[in-house]
Amino acid sequence: MFRPKIIGFICNWSLPIGMDVASSGIIHGYPKIRIVRVMCVGRIDPTIVLETFAKGADGVLVIGCPSPDCHYNEGNLQAERKIKMLKKLIWLTGLEPERLRLDWAYAFEIERLAEIINDFRNRVTRLGPSPLTGEKPDVNVLLNMKAAKAAAEDFRLRVSIGRERELTEKENVYGEKISQEEFDALLHEIIEAEFIRHKIHLLTQEKPMSVKEIASITHMKPASVLNHIVDMRRKGMLTLDHVEKTTPLYKALEVQ
Amino acid sequence: MAVVSCASKNKRRLPPCRVACPAGVNVQGYIALLQQGKFEEAVELIRKTMPFPAICGRVCFSPCQDACSRKNIDQPVGIRYLKRLAADVEREQGRVEPDPVPKTHSEKVAVVGAGPAGLSAAYELAKLGYPVTVFERMPELGGMMRYGIPDFRLKKYVVANEIAYIEDLGVEIKTGVEFGEDVQLDALLKEGYKAVFIATGTQLSMKLRIPGEDLEGVFHAVEFLRHVSLGKSVDVGEKVAVIGGGNTAIDAARTSLRLGAKEVSILYRRSRKEMPALPDEIEAAEEEGINLCFLVSPKQIIGEAGKVKAVECLRMELGEPDASGRRRPVPIQGSEHTYEVDMVIPAIGQLPETSCLPSILLDERARAISVDPLTLETKIPSVFAGGDIVTGPASVIEAIAAGKRAAVSIDRYLNGKDLGTGREEEIEETTWVKEWEKITKKPERYAAPNVDIGRRKVSFREADELLAKVKELAMFEARRCLECGPCAECLESEGLCEVDKAVVDENLCTGCNVCAIVCPFVAIRKNEREIAQVDENLCKGCGICSASCPERAITMQRFADAEIVTNVVAALGGETI
Repeated sequence: MFRPKIIGFICNWSLPIGMDVASSGIIHGYPKIRIVRVMCVGRIDPTIVLETFAKGADGVLVIGCPSPDCHYNEGNLQAERKIKMLKKLIWLTGLEPERLRLDWAYAFEIERLAEIINDFRNRVTRLGPSPLTGEKPDVNVLLNMKAAKAAAEDFRLRVSIGRERELTEKENVYGEKISQEEFDALLHEIIEAEFIRHKIHLLTQEKPMSVKEIASITHMKPASVLNHIVDMRRKGMLTLDHVEKTTPLYKALEVQ
Repeated sequence: MAVVSCASKNKRRLPPCRVACPAGVNVQGYIALLQQGKFEEAVELIRKTMPFPAICGRVCFSPCQDACSRKNIDQPVGIRYLKRLAADVEREQGRVEPDPVPKTHSEKVAVVGAGPAGLSAAYELAKLGYPVTVFERMPELGGMMRYGIPDFRLKKYVVANEIAYIEDLGVEIKTGVEFGEDVQLDALLKEGYKAVFIATGTQLSMKLRIPGEDLEGVFHAVEFLRHVSLGKSVDVGEKVAVIGGGNTAIDAARTSLRLGAKEVSILYRRSRKEMPALPDEIEAAEEEGINLCFLVSPKQIIGEAGKVKAVECLRMELGEPDASGRRRPVPIQGSEHTYEVDMVIPAIGQLPETSCLPSILLDERARAISVDPLTLETKIPSVFAGGDIVTGPASVIEAIAAGKRAAVSIDRYLNGKDLGTGREEEIEETTWVKEWEKITKKPERYAAPNVDIGRRKVSFREADELLAKVKELAMFEARRCLECGPCAECLESEGLCEVDKAVVDENLCTGCNVCAIVCPFVAIRKNEREIAQVDENLCKGCGICSASCPERAITMQRFADAEIVTNVVAALGGETI
């Protein structure tokens, strides 16, 4: 029977009282989950979650304090936004976004915590093993995961997430305010663009590729691949390697 | 665990709760321990500043709670309940029994009066290694905490338990010694006591000075409460009138109800707003069915065959504010009316017994000992005084503060140091101020359960007893603390805190300001070079900035990303489950 490997990032303040879990470990007597304690769920860098999947977790459960009782007052709101973004990224990699879940529990809600863990475990069990686990991890998904991680490290994406609350809840210096819907649409665009750019970057690291080749691997229209390539060349991520007959081949540059 | 970043230990920056406490108890510190369920450690932390956690947890007027930053969001943290619960849990589990402190000093110190002020001074001096002797005229220790505050608010065993801790430290106690009779001030100094602290409090009731005060059935509140505490039988009438609006008046009224009075009224000459009693106590009295009559003042007590029959009162109206800032009550002419009662308990104030003291110590009205407010030294060198005998009737925590102050002075005096220099610490109150209005949900305080009213009346059970069941609730309540105080509350030195701190790599930072936006504690600002700078006094090590930094220029010192990933790998590779 398939027994999923689940990593539970639990904030220090939601960890059941009296459970003296070391920085990582398993809570005895609980539904089986591997606990990694963090100070605040807002502290979980998106790259850490992606790394966790890449390292072979079948599911990632993030548990923090319910609003408005976050110990750091806003950490849970920060986490919410990061997880929302991550789900989109994970969807792009071909992994099921349901493998990542954010939930809230107070430290004394031991039963609730157990319920959350059980429920999530069941869900992941139904999804089956992650394509990144086992002897032969799915190469495509792994590449996608690498691209997603690079995207999550990207300045543009991180700055957008970091500024989300400021942009949607406060006015900027020009007295403008972006609505949440507008922002979400914008963010979606950024996520997709950054993901695909970093994927192209990874692909062309191995060998120089043409627009057509890239388009067929990424299932995209050649025109939009070209658009990205133009942008990437401008940003210094990519360069023209050589021209085969009439087809230009591109190669990744090392990003500083 | 409260992660209090702690690079600099500038002790002068304190959170509002600690600033508000007269004795300077490290509130944020013990709340942080309670968040983790470390009840014993919390109590020991309180004992570093004062010896009476359980007593203050019951009867303190808790200025800390009034100052709590959480009130900007919803309600202040229930600090007093938490302190009480912590102390109760520690007591029930078996009190910490300290070893006697070795006597490293040879100078003997005498403390007169075993109330909160005297005992606190003895406690502090004993901790410093002085041989201390406490003289008390009553058979039991505790002063007003034992003989003034009734059992339903403060149980005798609670007082005894906390005093036992002080005795454990090696303080010598002599009870049944009447100051001024059995032992004189000069005799004490001649006997080799190098310093004396007088904290005899205010033991006499202020007289009403109206006709009929000497009738049978008039029982002054302080004597009344003392009688009840001593276990002497006291005949209360069917109908009792308590005169006054302070805590003593409320205590006397509630006590007489418990002793069988059918109808109890509190007559107060001002209105409810001006009542000096604690609001909680006033509410409790009302719940128990005590009548509160405002704007009435007794004119005379009418007797029949030498016994109280009624009290004649005048109606009052409020005039201009007086010296205390409260509006002065002015009698309305011709408004006489009577209350049929068979017992009158005046509780209008207390005075010290000054006959036992040399007149040189007293102030011009001979109602108190005059002291230097900073050092508590009297006009006689080596003699110090503090507590109610200096201030007039006040609170337990103020008496504790006076005892501590005196202990510092005595220590300085005996070491030949200047008493005054550097005493007034410059304190900067630091509150984390963020936009409170952002938080929209406003949960109620997680209240401590009350014993039902019916039971309260018939028994001397403590009015609102906290049970072990609420331990978890207490931890939850403690977690409502915003930890608005900075690093000054650091517990790292006590080995009770894990320190984490955000560190900015200046070569990577581009000054995008995202960290400053996401930081819940406004601990990050850009410096003049447009590079993020972490204010180590405000950083609490949550790591949100590190997770948000677009250039990944911020790392956490303790729980860095790499550390978390290592933990993930360890967890994944761990035993198969």
